Amino acid sequence: MLLTESDLQAIWLTLRLATVVTAILLVVGTPVAWWLARSRSWFKGPIGAVVALPLVLPPSVLGFYLLLAMGPNGPVGWLTQTLEVGNLPFTFWGLVLASVFYSFPFMVQPLQSAFETVGDRPLEAAATLGASRLDTFFSVVVPLSLRGFMTASILTFAHTVGEFGVVLMIGGNIPGATRVASVQIYDHVEALEYASAHRMAAIMLIFSFLVLLALYAWRSEEGKKY
Amino acid sequence: MNLLLNVQKNFPGFQLAADVTLTGDRVGVFGSSGSGKSTLVSMLAGFLKPDAGEIVLDDETLFSSSRKINVRSEQRRIAMVFQQHALFPHLNVRNNLLYGYSRCKAAHRSIHLDDIVPVLQLDELLDRNIGKLSGGQQQRVALGRAILANPRLLLMDEPLSALDDSLRFQIIPYLRSVSEQFGIPYLFISHSLVEMRLMTDSALVFEKGVMVEQVSSEQLARNRMGQSQVGYINLLRLGRSLPSAGLFAYPWGAGQLLLSVGSERDDSMAELSSKDIILFKQHPEAISARNLLQCSVRSLFNSGRKVGVELECDGNSLIAEVVQDAVNELSITPGCTIYAAIKASAFRMLPS
Repeated sequence: MLLTESDLQAIWLTLRLATVVTAILLVVGTPVAWWLARSRSWFKGPIGAVVALPLVLPPSVLGFYLLLAMGPNGPVGWLTQTLEVGNLPFTFWGLVLASVFYSFPFMVQPLQSAFETVGDRPLEAAATLGASRLDTFFSVVVPLSLRGFMTASILTFAHTVGEFGVVLMIGGNIPGATRVASVQIYDHVEALEYASAHRMAAIMLIFSFLVLLALYAWRSEEGKKY
Repeated sequence: MNLLLNVQKNFPGFQLAADVTLTGDRVGVFGSSGSGKSTLVSMLAGFLKPDAGEIVLDDETLFSSSRKINVRSEQRRIAMVFQQHALFPHLNVRNNLLYGYSRCKAAHRSIHLDDIVPVLQLDELLDRNIGKLSGGQQQRVALGRAILANPRLLLMDEPLSALDDSLRFQIIPYLRSVSEQFGIPYLFISHSLVEMRLMTDSALVFEKGVMVEQVSSEQLARNRMGQSQVGYINLLRLGRSLPSAGLFAYPWGAGQLLLSVGSERDDSMAELSSKDIILFKQHPEAISARNLLQCSVRSLFNSGRKVGVELECDGNSLIAEVVQDAVNELSITPGCTIYAAIKASAFRMLPS
């Protein structure tokens, strides 16, 4: 067989993780990106820098602090224990939370850029035509930012699929629970199973290439519309 | 329209102040670039909050700093036509037109899509994408969209400045339809005297953030004649033309005018710049201009370095501009007879 059950399990877990993280970040990242695009507040700079931090931080640094925060003595750990959810490290939802932080800029920055491109005029036009701010957002901003939403979602999804350092720090290597595709490849290499590692690596390579190809093809088609 | 505007707005290095009550349905806001016109419009539309003052439209307070009232843009029922159209590129023409209409309360919907489409000649365009339209078509759609929002006031912020000269004059009749056919009062913002003359009855004049005068558009054109490159724009109501020796003869008062362009409309109009009229004290022996009118001088007025000469020719009024030396040499005084020469090509027909 081309892939072992363990490989398939890792791929399935990776896809689940990336889907959940992308969905959460669409909901959480959109208002943050909108605020960053529209605000003239003094806080815009510092908050923009915090959002971008995962781009420059070594994943092990981010993973380390997230591990401390989610641990029994950390603020997140205290909260999850108070809510009787238990501890998040080495669980699927721990991975989700860590990935949300790690992939945050991949969602926020393309969206922020798309919102900035929309500009003031369409919003002002919609307002003079009787549309509320929320109505304007959904009837004007979202359709005009579709490329940004698509780019942000694909980059977030693909970036989550490719995570290694943070997931290893937070999730460890528990088959079926936290062992994602990148960790599975690492395991195969550690065990000198290069053929298996090749197969998994090739799947991820092809997947990443196809995702980017689809993104560029779609963007090119969208660009012809307006 | 009854609009009370008493607003102040301070920016670093710029201050806007206006205190005026506007009545009438065709009011202009005139000023050069940076005079504060757009700031005023932004405050009226609700995009920009004045630092102090009051805005009251038809007895409803839209802004009051003392009473802490600031009605949001979407609740003001003040629609706007923007310089760059600001159409929604993801919607086709029909859906652009209906954007404001569908958000307008049923009680306020007195103008419908079917009313707009023939007037603005949008029949063929309804299912087209915005990107496939020309500049003039886009401006007609933007105008229709604003009218269909059934506003109680329409702001037109330099709606013609993005269009080339020939297109501007084609769009003007559509813009005029806002008040003439749909009964919506408008505020027309422009730095063009010609547009002011064609689109408005009265005008507020802004200079460096200060409202300096409120005059009739006709008076504004006289006041600015000497500084304007286009001079004073005479608007001539002409009838249907008849071919005449390679030109077109139009009845004009008791006489006639020869123009180089013809019109089959009974209500055709032409414009003529005060700069294109040459005055003679005596009847010239031979002249290449095809129109030589015997006129009497009604009055003289100063405008910058120029002198405006108001003429009565064949029962019609015309304004010519000359320099003071010419007035002295020709001894032009009210009541004297003078001859006005106008080339047939000096007239520009206005779309009806």
